Amino acid sequence: MKKLRQSLLRAGLVVALIASAFAVKIGDPAPGFTAVDSNGRQQRLSDYKGKYVVLEWHNQGCPYTKKHYESGNMQRLQKEWTAKGVAWLTVISSAPGMQGFVTPSQENEYLKTMNAAPTAAIIDPGGSLGHLYAAKTTPHMFIIDPSGTLIYNGAIDDHSTSDQSDIKNSKNYVSTALQEATSGKPVTEAATRPYGCSVKYKD
Amino acid sequence: MNRVVKLALFFLAATSISRGAVQGSPHARVELLARQDAAKPGADLLLGVHFILEPGWHIYWINPGDSGQPPTFKWQLPPGFTVGEIQWPRPERMQPNKQLADYGYHDEVLLPVTLHVLPGFNNRTLAEVRVDAKWLICREVCIAEHAQLELSLPVAATAKENLQSVPLFAKTEKLLPKPMPRVWKATAKSTKDGFVLALVTGKPMSKAEFFPLDPGQIDNPAPQKVQPSATGLHIILKKSDLLLKPITVLRGVLVIPAGPAYRIDAPVQESIE
Repeated sequence: MKKLRQSLLRAGLVVALIASAFAVKIGDPAPGFTAVDSNGRQQRLSDYKGKYVVLEWHNQGCPYTKKHYESGNMQRLQKEWTAKGVAWLTVISSAPGMQGFVTPSQENEYLKTMNAAPTAAIIDPGGSLGHLYAAKTTPHMFIIDPSGTLIYNGAIDDHSTSDQSDIKNSKNYVSTALQEATSGKPVTEAATRPYGCSVKYKD
Repeated sequence: MNRVVKLALFFLAATSISRGAVQGSPHARVELLARQDAAKPGADLLLGVHFILEPGWHIYWINPGDSGQPPTFKWQLPPGFTVGEIQWPRPERMQPNKQLADYGYHDEVLLPVTLHVLPGFNNRTLAEVRVDAKWLICREVCIAEHAQLELSLPVAATAKENLQSVPLFAKTEKLLPKPMPRVWKATAKSTKDGFVLALVTGKPMSKAEFFPLDPGQIDNPAPQKVQPSATGLHIILKKSDLLLKPITVLRGVLVIPAGPAYRIDAPVQESIE
């Protein structure tokens, strides 16, 4: 475990160095990464070339994340889109000791309890993947198209509250963007202000 | 009933609606205050929601920055009464890490609103005002809190200032952004990665900070570079990654440290490079 942690931190450093050279801009290639998921498997962005990829920043203690999980909204999206061949990567960038930090087994327990269905949950306690994408909030959503281009960066929907009752009246930006992109249309709202709790980075 | 109605009449502790991890007492005391001691039919009355925050906790400005959410008020007023928008005192910048910056308030803040009393409101002796206040309060973690606040004011032909609440309203007035002096000029130039906000004030200035009113225009955590010019200053702002289209105006509040704060509306010119 310690060794894994050290190599993760080293990998994190490399990623962070590359990060300063890139901005995460719509229409640009999404920055590549290699990270480790809650089952100890490596997750490389390049493994998903040819597929749409959704990145979902997550913190299970955050009231905004809870809005979308306790209502089942996020799980519904995960199931709907992974069934259509989209890769859905949940990313947890909470640092040890901070809200939302989980060990791999705690995350697996959470996924089971919540009936969540991402393709994988990446544990990013060093925050390198979060900083690479400049992820600001939980949730904060990104969509990468099959060619590896970033096509969406922003909020999950247009109601920046923590009230579950707002979901039914919300426009879901992620679903809309995926629907547009998968039917060959340009994404009409490709960048929105993400809302939620700040990502609990270590620095 | 005592005619001298104490103004901070109703005082309800906020209740946390957050479930799970964070328990315990709420992190803010909140009260509804009035600057005047009576509601005078046909006149304006200044109300304010006063937040006293637990040390280390903060709430948010109208543009909260990269995370968070500003407080919201839902008013219940006597028929025909109207309230204006929240008047937001100048915010502080809060930067929990290198990735994000938020705008908000620590310790204590009063958020004033103007209440207009119906001209013919003479048929009751008391004007009862209720507000449903919701706010997000954060330290490292965030909690959604809410409270129902009430205030009853006697209806009277004259209204005097309430001596208890006036100092707080007066202090808050100084923190509200003023309109920019007429002789000043604010313009902005759009560059590839940023905006250069140019202020002509008449004399070189070396310190100022810009707080954007519209989210998604500037990169909040990026340091703002201030360059004095012969007649004012330039502030170099980084563009947000979320800004995909040109903007026509950069709206915000310019805060001069230990000085006043001004509302800025700078028309944006695309640079022709």
